Amino acid sequence: MRKVNQRGWFFVLPVLVLVAFNALVPMMTVVNYSVQETFGNNQFFWHGLGWFQDILRSERFHAALGRQALFTFLILVIEVPLGVIIALSMPRKGFWVPVCLVTMALPMLIPWNVVGAMWNIFTLPDIGLLGYFLNHVVGIDYNMTRSPFAAWATIIAMDVWHWTSLVVLLCYAGLVSIPDAYYQAAKIDGASNWSVFRYIQLPKMKQVLTIAVLLRFMDSFNVYTEPFVLTGGGPGNSTTLLSIDLVKIALGQFDLGPAAAMSLIYFAITLFVSWLFYTLMTRNDTD
Amino acid sequence: MKRRAIALALLPLPAAAQTAGWGNLGKPVEKGFSWTAPLWPDFWMAWTPATLAVFVGIFSAMAILTLLEVRRPGGDARKGVLGLVTTRGDRLFISLLGTSYIFMAWLWLIGMPLWGPLGLAIAWGVFVFWKV
Repeated sequence: MRKVNQRGWFFVLPVLVLVAFNALVPMMTVVNYSVQETFGNNQFFWHGLGWFQDILRSERFHAALGRQALFTFLILVIEVPLGVIIALSMPRKGFWVPVCLVTMALPMLIPWNVVGAMWNIFTLPDIGLLGYFLNHVVGIDYNMTRSPFAAWATIIAMDVWHWTSLVVLLCYAGLVSIPDAYYQAAKIDGASNWSVFRYIQLPKMKQVLTIAVLLRFMDSFNVYTEPFVLTGGGPGNSTTLLSIDLVKIALGQFDLGPAAAMSLIYFAITLFVSWLFYTLMTRNDTD
Repeated sequence: MKRRAIALALLPLPAAAQTAGWGNLGKPVEKGFSWTAPLWPDFWMAWTPATLAVFVGIFSAMAILTLLEVRRPGGDARKGVLGLVTTRGDRLFISLLGTSYIFMAWLWLIGMPLWGPLGLAIAWGVFVFWKV
């Protein structure tokens, strides 16, 4: 048996302590709350797994979960191919590389709530640049505070604007790491653009694309700030995503038990889908 | 004289009744151990023995895995029936995640009591560690 120096683990210890306090302790508290009922004042009464049953059978939860799934699906379907296309069309060398990279990185530097506020003002039908343009120049009846379809289009557009750059930058990093020899070999063989993409670029981007899909899934499935600032979950409940509904239950209604149960179900869904993505995308890796 | 003697004889009775516990009205009754009562009342984390036992179980499983890994490194990786290469840790993760889904599905579709999903979850765990 080969002796391995395990002392490196001690360097992980500070991270472990930090994670214990900002993730593990709150997580354990949520588990405790999810099986109890409280009326405040730190007094708790046992309720068993009843909250889980209530949440799993509630129409409201099903509706919020459906909206969340639709949102995440649309985000992945739009952002991942779009990000790959933009990364492919970006220059690999020369003056325009830093210009493109900085322009791409700009949206990600803006805080989430500022993005929400920006898009709110941008899309207001009477004073917003886009809202006024669509209503009074193009002539489309666009009002994201009144029409659910417009609200959905706006939050999707906002998320695409904010986060496609992440996919672009990751894919670009994968693309520039491909040696020129691959392209030269493809040229000699007379490969078409599609073959170059399918058999050289896509396999080389697979690792970063896995990370990109995982990050975009988790971020869009747990998104809160941007849609909350933009639409506040409205009009009606049409953009009340899972996290917005969760905060309404926990802090609006102060139902800590059901909210804790709901967040654990939410966590289980995120965990399972992330595990599934990761397992499927790295299944055939031999290393 | 006779009446006074009877009164004197009865005098110790209240004291005897007191020691026998006749005055113990309204005092709290000491209850036995309960899995679901608050473990440390007024503490914000709201621990109960039941939830504590869950986490002790998970963390001791992880400790056992760590010990096994130290004694036999490599994680006992193998290719199982699902076509996945899994280590011991993967198998623990899959069985715990599956358990939570078994319980959630049962609560959603059937409801209380939960002996059925308990049996299913144990069977799932055995299957995962045996075949996956």
